[in-house]
Amino acid sequence: MPKVQPSRRSKLEPPEGWSDLEPTLLEFKQKMRDAENESAAGKRRVETTWSVMRVHHQRSRYIYDLFYKRKAISRKLYDYCVKNGHADANLIAKWRKQGFEKLCCLQCIQARDTAHGTACICRVPKAKLEEGRVVECVHCGCRGCASTD
Amino acid sequence: MAADAGDGVEFPILCETCLGDNPYVRMTREANGRECKVCTRPFTVFRWLPGRGMRYKKTEICPTCAKLKNVCQTCILDLEHGLPVQARDAALGIESSVPQQAGNRRDYAARTAGSLEVVSGETDFSGRADPAGREMLKRMARKGPYYKRNRAHVCSFFVRGLCTRGSECPYRHEMPEGDPELSKQNLVDRYHGNNDPVARRMLARASKRPSALAPPEDKSITTLFVMGVEGAAGQRELHDHFGAYGELKSVSVASKGACAFVNFTTRAAAEAAAHAAQAGCVVAGQALRVAWGKPRPKGPSAEASSAGAGSGSGTSGRTARIPAPPGAAGAALYPSQDPTAHGASAGSRA
Repeated sequence: MPKVQPSRRSKLEPPEGWSDLEPTLLEFKQKMRDAENESAAGKRRVETTWSVMRVHHQRSRYIYDLFYKRKAISRKLYDYCVKNGHADANLIAKWRKQGFEKLCCLQCIQARDTAHGTACICRVPKAKLEEGRVVECVHCGCRGCASTD
Repeated sequence: MAADAGDGVEFPILCETCLGDNPYVRMTREANGRECKVCTRPFTVFRWLPGRGMRYKKTEICPTCAKLKNVCQTCILDLEHGLPVQARDAALGIESSVPQQAGNRRDYAARTAGSLEVVSGETDFSGRADPAGREMLKRMARKGPYYKRNRAHVCSFFVRGLCTRGSECPYRHEMPEGDPELSKQNLVDRYHGNNDPVARRMLARASKRPSALAPPEDKSITTLFVMGVEGAAGQRELHDHFGAYGELKSVSVASKGACAFVNFTTRAAAEAAAHAAQAGCVVAGQALRVAWGKPRPKGPSAEASSAGAGSGSGTSGRTARIPAPPGAAGAALYPSQDPTAHGASAGSRA
């Protein structure tokens, strides 16, 4: 016996409140396109992905703020945004944890990917770096994302 | 693979400077990570940070090539003295047995890898058999590790005025100083000791340096000060060695300070001995350092005699100057009253 399909219409339709977010998220989408198509001329090899990482962070942060901080959108709408790729659920999950409130990207805490099993230099609090040291991490160009900074 | 240089190597062959000042240095090891820049065989590459604010360093040549020349795997400087191969080999008169043509070099390194201890043991890199050469190396070498060498390189974009990275730039934003000739270096040439501008300058400087052996202005000085008098080198040996240059007035050895004064009767003899000592002075297997003596206080000098009287006879072993007897501190009335003008020497008491 064929399975009874729930109405596809309700699934496809965006939840309530979507129209308020839509212009901003479309703008982010356009920004992401531009970042993806940016020319790599004059950039170092590691620098080429930084602009993509930045837009990705920005729009995840936007959804995170609306849902967890300002509580301005519904759970349904939040899930809809995550499902449609407007926010990174894994990154947001980290932001909800203590010590990771300002995390720049997931790569920077992936200790398994580094030679000595350490996190990225951008995770080091400014107070613990030597005086006058400017860091710019290779993964996303972050200049420091320790929660104490 | 038999062609690999250094399988399962646990630690690189490094000089103190390249290792850095941190005793807890972390290294990454990559087996067969790169080819040796000298013999072009794959080898285990190590990479580490030699201290805070320094640049990452890695091994550049394989341990086989490093052992053949007794050099650091990273900086290609001698392990013991930290000198370029060319400078060391010139001082010790070492003839290299490593072929200079690339293919031959690779073959030689592969063949000698097994019998390395024999090959490197044959050559006297430390200069044990050649004390004079060893003295020369010691003169040219730095006293301690030179960590400034590990700093970041100068930013080439900054030099051209094109660096866009500003304060984030990990390279040094300074104009290069010093002789531009010295930057024209090549690792393989440095390894073989050919055409190395740094070594050339070092050797030129070592030969030109106004040494302690330049004859002093004061023509009355006929004394040579000899340092490093230890072991088998005693008064008799010194007498035999320096007697060859002319008549000796006295030889006084202070065994406590491991030094001696050799008094010649004539200035010409002293100059001849000093000239010969420039190339190194070896007596009974001991490498001695030779310098001209300091002028002794001349004639009746109240200052000298009072200083001698004050310090007593305990220090008389170090210098040839005889302290005035207590009570003689008063002004000398005529020459025979001044003990420093007397012909007696400490040699008779030593």
